[in-house]
Amino acid sequence: MRKLRTFVVIAAAAALAAGIAASAGAAPTRADSTLNGAGSTLIQPAFSVWGPAYASATGVEINYSGIGSGGGISAITNRTVDFGASDAPLSPDQASACNGCVQIPWALSATSVVYNVPGVGDTKLKLSGPVLANIFLGKVTSWNDASIKALNPGLSLPDQKITTVHRSDGSGDTYAFTDYLSKVSSTWRNQVGVNTAVNWPGGVGGNKNAGVSAVIGSTPGSIGYVSDAYALQNHLAKARLRNAFGKYTLPGITGIEAAAQTVKSVPADNKMSIVDPPATKKFAAAWPISTFTYIIVPTTSKNATDLRHFIFWALSPKQQASIKKLIFAPIPKVVLVAAEKTLTKIHS
Amino acid sequence: MSSVDAPVADASRRPFRGRRLRLGDVLLQGVAGAAALGATVLLGLIAWKVVDGARPSLSKFGLGFITRIAWNPVPGHEIYGAASFLFGTAITSLVALLIAAPLAMGIALFLTELSPRLIRGPVTALVETLAAIPSVVIGLWGIIVLGPQLRLHVEPWLHKAFGFIPLFGTPSSSGASVFTAIVVLTIMILPIVSSITRELFLGVPHDLKEGALALGATRWEMTRGVVFPYARGGIAAALILGLGRAVGEAIAVTQVIGGGLLVSWNLFSTGDTLASKIANEYQSATSRLQSASLIYLALILLVFSLVMNVAAQVIVRRVSRRMGIGVSR
Repeated sequence: MRKLRTFVVIAAAAALAAGIAASAGAAPTRADSTLNGAGSTLIQPAFSVWGPAYASATGVEINYSGIGSGGGISAITNRTVDFGASDAPLSPDQASACNGCVQIPWALSATSVVYNVPGVGDTKLKLSGPVLANIFLGKVTSWNDASIKALNPGLSLPDQKITTVHRSDGSGDTYAFTDYLSKVSSTWRNQVGVNTAVNWPGGVGGNKNAGVSAVIGSTPGSIGYVSDAYALQNHLAKARLRNAFGKYTLPGITGIEAAAQTVKSVPADNKMSIVDPPATKKFAAAWPISTFTYIIVPTTSKNATDLRHFIFWALSPKQQASIKKLIFAPIPKVVLVAAEKTLTKIHS
Repeated sequence: MSSVDAPVADASRRPFRGRRLRLGDVLLQGVAGAAALGATVLLGLIAWKVVDGARPSLSKFGLGFITRIAWNPVPGHEIYGAASFLFGTAITSLVALLIAAPLAMGIALFLTELSPRLIRGPVTALVETLAAIPSVVIGLWGIIVLGPQLRLHVEPWLHKAFGFIPLFGTPSSSGASVFTAIVVLTIMILPIVSSITRELFLGVPHDLKEGALALGATRWEMTRGVVFPYARGGIAAALILGLGRAVGEAIAVTQVIGGGLLVSWNLFSTGDTLASKIANEYQSATSRLQSASLIYLALILLVFSLVMNVAAQVIVRRVSRRMGIGVSR
C-alpha cells in the first residue's frame, strides 16, 4: 500500500513537472509576422513612429522593449530576441561573444548637458570641454570658479557648490558623454575612461533619464546630462558647449548633422565615434556630444528576410525624416551606403 | 511567523494508515506533495543558478571580492568588489531597524492597550495600509518630496547638533543620500513590525494582564512585566522579518540612495546597497565579468538573507523555550 502510494505521488509529480516543462518549451514559438527587439532606451521613441508605420505598410509587427543598451546586447547574444539595439558599439569581447553578429548604424542622436543654477536661465550657461571635464572630475567645485566665469563674462554666477549628476544605470548617454570627456581631457581618459557605466569620481547618480532630471530639478547648483529628446520634452535648461572650432552650440538636428560630417569612411565593423569633431570651419555648427545608435543582428537567423526588409525600410530617407521631430538626425550618405552593404550579409 | 508545534497525535500525521486507499486522497497528496516539492526544487535551482552565474567572478576574484572596495566596469580596467555595498546594506537596514523598532512598539502598544476603542479600528487599518504602498511609489515620494526636505531641514540640524559623530558629516547637496534611504526603509518596515507586534500583544492572555493589574501594577508595570516578556520571542522574529525586508529592498532604495562607492561614515553622502547596485546595473551590464560580479553580489545577498532567516528561527525557539510558553497565536 505505502509503496503504491509513493509511486503514485512520484508519478503525479513527474507528470506535473513534464506538463510545465512542455508548456514552457512551447511558449517561445512566435508568429512569423513579428519581430522582437530589445535594448537602447535612446532609440525607443523612434519605435513609436516606426512600429505602427511598418505594421500598416507590411503587416509585420515590431515588439521593442527599451531595457538598456547592455541588456539589448546580452539579449541578442543569447538569441532571445530577433535584434538588439545599442548606443555603444560592441566591444571586441562582446562581438566575439555574440558569435556572428553585425552592428548597423541606423540613427543619430545627441546627449545634452543640463543644469539647475539659480539665476541662470535656459541656454545662458556656456561651457568648454575641459571645464566640463574638470567639473565632473571634482576639480572645479563652485559655480563662481574663475574658469567658468571666464567663459561667461556677462553672467552673474552664484557662489554655490556644484553637484554633478550622472546615470546610475548603464547607458548609451553615459557612453557618449564619457567618450567626449575622454577626447577633451587626458586626465579623464586616464583616470575614468569610456564606457556605458564608469567609476564616477563623485556626484550623485540617478536611475535613467527621469532619475537624473529629478535630482537636477530638486538640487540647486546641479549639472548633468540626458538624451536630448528627453531634455526637450521636459524643458530642462540646456548648456551651450564650445566645440573644437571655438563656436558655442546647442544640441539639435543642425548640430548633430554637422557633427556627423566627421565620418569620411566607415570601418568594416561600422564602429564610429563623432564626439568632439575637428577644429575646422566645416564643423562650426557641430554639437560635440552627438552619437550613432546601432541595431545588432545575427548574420544567420530564421527571420533574416523580415529583418533585412525592416532595417532597409528604417534606413530609407523617408523613415529617417519621420523621426526628425524626436531629435534623430538622418544618417549621412556614406554611412547609409555602408549600412546597406552590411545588410547583404544577413541571410537565413 | 513560526510557532512552536503543538504536540500532534502520530496517527493524524499519517492520514492513510488503516484506511482504504481512495483516489481523492491520493490525488490530494500528489498535488500537494508536488507543490511542496516544486517550491523546494525552485529554491535549489535558484541557488545553483546564482552560483553558476557568479562563477567567472568567483574564479577571478575569489573571496577577496567580499572585502574589496571597488567597482569599475570600464573595459581594460575592470575590477569589482562588494565591501562598499555590504557596508551600505548593513548600515541602511540596521539604522532603519533601530529607528523603526521603538516606533513600532509604541504603535502596537497604543493600539492594544492605550487607545480609545473608537479610533483603534481606523488607525490599525491606516497603519496596515502603509504596508500596501508599492515601494516604487515610496521611492518616488522619497526623491521628490522627502529628499529635499531632509536636505534643507533635517540634515543641517543633525550636523549642527551631532556633527562630532562621524555619521552626521557635511549635509548632502542633493536629496539623494544614504540617510534618505534609511528614512524610506524605516517607513517601509514600520507597518510590518508594528502589525505583527500588535498581534502578539493581543495574544497575551487577559488573565495574566488582569492579574498584574489586580496586584496593583500600573499600566506601564503591567506592560513591562507581562506583555513584553510574553511577546519577546515574537518581537525578535518580527524585527528580523523587518530587517530582511530592509536588506532586500531594491527599487525604493535605488531611487533615493544616489549610487556610487560609499567610502566614508557620513550618512549624508551617496552610496549603494547590494540590492540597489544589482537593480541599477544588471540589465545594462556590458561585460561577462560585470554580469558575473553583479550575480556574485546577489549570491552574497542570498547567503545574508538565509543566515538571517535561520537566526530568526533560532532566536524564536530559544526565547520561547526559556519562557516555556507559545509565542504567537
